[in-house]
Amino acid sequence: MLLTAVIVVLREVLEGALLLSVLLALSRHADMKMFWVIPAMILGFVGAALYASNLNHISEWFDYVGQEVINAALQITIFLALLLFLVLHRADKNRWLMAQFFLMILVVGLAVTREISEIILYLSGYVGKENGLATVLVGGCIGAGIGLSLSIILYYTLTYFLAYRAELLANILLGIFSGNILSQATLMLIQADWLSAQGAVWDSSRWLPEDAIFGQLLYAVIGYEATPSWWQVSAYFGGMSLVWLLVYSLDRGKRRDG
Amino acid sequence: MCKIPDEKLGAPIYAGVFAVLTNLIFFSFLFVPMASIAATPEFALEIREHLFYPAEIIVPANTKVKLIVTNQDNAPEEFESYGLNREKVIMEHSKTVIFIGPLAPGEYPFFGEFNPKTAQGKVIAK
Repeated sequence: MLLTAVIVVLREVLEGALLLSVLLALSRHADMKMFWVIPAMILGFVGAALYASNLNHISEWFDYVGQEVINAALQITIFLALLLFLVLHRADKNRWLMAQFFLMILVVGLAVTREISEIILYLSGYVGKENGLATVLVGGCIGAGIGLSLSIILYYTLTYFLAYRAELLANILLGIFSGNILSQATLMLIQADWLSAQGAVWDSSRWLPEDAIFGQLLYAVIGYEATPSWWQVSAYFGGMSLVWLLVYSLDRGKRRDG
Repeated sequence: MCKIPDEKLGAPIYAGVFAVLTNLIFFSFLFVPMASIAATPEFALEIREHLFYPAEIIVPANTKVKLIVTNQDNAPEEFESYGLNREKVIMEHSKTVIFIGPLAPGEYPFFGEFNPKTAQGKVIAK
């Protein structure tokens, strides 16, 4: 039970925290003040608590696919908020500051909501039971510790490299993050049967299984899937190229005018 | 001619807002339900004492299938499968629906993420 708790919490913390460290590194690179992290985490925790405590009802919405629909809506909101943030930030980072902070809080807060809510749900199964809660909490802390340590390593690695090839690396990361989030939204809609299901575009589960450690890390950082569908692949590359196009045209517009 | 500072920013901001809006319209199409008209085969799956019943579900290959999952336990469980690309929380004492496939013939293991040691099963597509 201890080991299970470590793994469950580690997986969720890893997904949320690796993402957070990418966004933090990008924000630091963009010379933004970091105070938005606290409201973003508060939003994440409050959102997660609300989501977890209402999941019973949410699950029954839309003929029992409410969970998928809400998740997809969250992910599309994150994507659009990030696009809008990039438009404002890259056009002029000193203008519309409050809107920029608000959008950043929205992106990060919503991005960690689901992972935190899954930890809450997992722990809720042990609350009020004679044995187990203490073990699970200890395991959870170990898992959270490992996850956070890995994220801190990623954060400093990114910050280090961002100092060299700053623009290029930041744009690559933003593109990957956006493609990933959009691809996850389509996966949720396929699971809900709102998007037509298809077979896999490729199958790399032999070479790089998703359940191996490296596969899990890649899943958490870039959204690696061993057997993705066409919807996912097109959403991934569509979202990614859209962000790159946007960033490129904004930067070029700025250079030309400036 | 001398430029007004605001004009410098005008073009990229409008281009960006335009890009966001066109995307909003594009992605709203994603929300149009595209459920097939043909009846989807349904299979029941039950979670009891952190075990799946049945532990093996035989489904038709290359067909979309609807799993109706009931959790009888006092704790939530998360249905998870790498092969099926599925992940869904099933609250205690509740029922939910998970669509899977169409699957190529083969075996697709799934597990309960909150109790992975006991809650194990597989979908067999034939």
